Amino acid sequence: MCDGGCKGGARGRPNMAPVYPKAASYPEYAQLVNRENAQVDRRLFVDEAIYQAELQQIFARSWLFLAHESQIPSPGDFIRTSMGEDDVIVVRQRDGSVKAFLNSCPHRGNRVCMVDAGTKARGFICNYHGWSFGIDGGLRGTDGKVYEKDQAFEKAQIGLTPVAQIDSYKGLIFGTFDPAAPSLLDFFGPFTFYLDIMLDNDEGGTEFIGGAIKSEIDCNWKFPAENFVGDILHAFWTHQSGAQAILGAGVDLGKRYDELAFQASVYGHGIETNLDKVGNTRTLGYPELVDYVYDLSEKASARLGDLRARAIGAISSCTVFPNFSFLPGQNTFRVWHPRGPGKIELVVWTLVNKNAPEHIKEAYRKGVMMTFSPGGVFEMDDGENWEYSTRVNQGFVTRQQPLHYALGLESTDLERELPGHIHKGSMNDANQRLFYTRWAEFMEHDNWTDLQNGDTAPPQKSVKAAE
Amino acid sequence: MLDFLDISKPFDRLDNPVTLEIERAIIRWVHAEARLLDAERYQEWLDGFIDPEIHYWMPDMETRRRDDPRGTFKYGESAYFDDNWRELEIRVKRYNEPSAWADNPATRHVHLISNIEVNATDDPALFAVCSAFTNVRNRNEADQDIIHGRREDVLRAVDGGYRLLRRRVLIVQNVLLSKNLNTFF
Repeated sequence: MCDGGCKGGARGRPNMAPVYPKAASYPEYAQLVNRENAQVDRRLFVDEAIYQAELQQIFARSWLFLAHESQIPSPGDFIRTSMGEDDVIVVRQRDGSVKAFLNSCPHRGNRVCMVDAGTKARGFICNYHGWSFGIDGGLRGTDGKVYEKDQAFEKAQIGLTPVAQIDSYKGLIFGTFDPAAPSLLDFFGPFTFYLDIMLDNDEGGTEFIGGAIKSEIDCNWKFPAENFVGDILHAFWTHQSGAQAILGAGVDLGKRYDELAFQASVYGHGIETNLDKVGNTRTLGYPELVDYVYDLSEKASARLGDLRARAIGAISSCTVFPNFSFLPGQNTFRVWHPRGPGKIELVVWTLVNKNAPEHIKEAYRKGVMMTFSPGGVFEMDDGENWEYSTRVNQGFVTRQQPLHYALGLESTDLERELPGHIHKGSMNDANQRLFYTRWAEFMEHDNWTDLQNGDTAPPQKSVKAAE
Repeated sequence: MLDFLDISKPFDRLDNPVTLEIERAIIRWVHAEARLLDAERYQEWLDGFIDPEIHYWMPDMETRRRDDPRGTFKYGESAYFDDNWRELEIRVKRYNEPSAWADNPATRHVHLISNIEVNATDDPALFAVCSAFTNVRNRNEADQDIIHGRREDVLRAVDGGYRLLRRRVLIVQNVLLSKNLNTFF
């Protein structure tokens, strides 16, 4: 019993050091990706316990897309975003570097930033008790200087919890909550070869234009991510109406499909492309963009080589594991933020080359709006597919039936000198199988040594050549 | 350009009442337009209600501090619609394809329009019309989307009727709480 000296129940002082979660191992979930049969168990799309494991194993460890450098050019410029379900502020520092913090006051937990974005902020002040933080995340002061008069108060160690690692690749800023994660470049592996198709096809670099469009879809986050990682197949059926409206014809992969089209995958990141130069760009509906991409492709072949120059505007799509996707040629970049097993928040941006003429940037802004935004004639028809692919699995019997991911089982391409796992033809489930294999690796492994040396790791082609 | 035709600006003068006769005719126009959109008669809407020089804009709404000079929305940044006649026509073409799966089976629409104010402008052929709306969509068994907002329209008197020359659509949602926008406002 307290004799009156128990300090209001406290026995010591708070430890306000950042807490980063530990990964575990869930082999029982990893087994739900059945690689023997090329099938995926439907519980991945509706099960709450599996979803919580995803937040721990995947979203608390992976490098996740945060922002484009161009969104926060000056000190104090910031945007608010999510890493998994964690609310995060990304802010440019006075020395030009970028930091990111959990958007939660260490006092009572309230958000310290309520807005989508802003410029030249001096700091962030919690609306609850007025705790204020600098753009470096450190506690600056409190309302009324009550704490300053409290002799026992230790201010120095209090701050917003920083995202453990931040790095950028050719304009794109990524972060991870895992202090033990390998570098961003190691996380990508040789997949940067394919990212450069969009990020490095012009010497001036890239920028995002026109802010972000956000929307909600009642689907599991993996359906859109797997769609962009390697499902051009759906375009013919799902997007027939959009293609008719804009092009006056269906989606066409052209005569050289068998020769040119392929899928590439590294660590679950994947791209499928048809190498047709302007197939994606054409669907934006502005002839000046097609001319621009033809010229760009010509110029970029010195920079990227012929193959990647052909991919800049081609019919293609890409996902960076786990939830960052884009469409070359259509220039829509997006994140599928998880919001529970059955909901996502989709955020969509438009990427352009900084050196592009203003009228070309404007045509991309309008073209993305007309095609891949909530009112766009292509995106319009995606959401319902993903919603019902998710929702039907509430049926107990329905979710006992594993799904079919077996297109292109005999399509491995060992000839082509390209980084990663290469499969012939872009109409293929290969990248999606590797996406779910990567998902299973994250469920299985509690350490990065195993994570970076599993079956999704880039094949050692030099070893194969020696055999 | 007349100031109220500048899509980036709100109407600044709304104290120019019109005759009762014109007001009645324009309110009839507004309700008839809503009835056509409820029935998904999009081609008739384009042909009968939309001026060839239409500018139809619905910006994305951001959450910003009150003292942020950018404001909640800004012309030239991301938008759901920023269309001329040809671009509206592309959207209508998609609706009219039998494979527009998000509209087949059909979506059930109701456009509720209220708070209508009709104002004269410096140009006797142009009218500044404000209204508020509730846009209801329901499809399949229980999928429902409701969007509230305001419109600022400029109507042009043509051949004894009216055509929509400019429309600003300002919704109240930041994150669009819908998977798509298979509707017009």
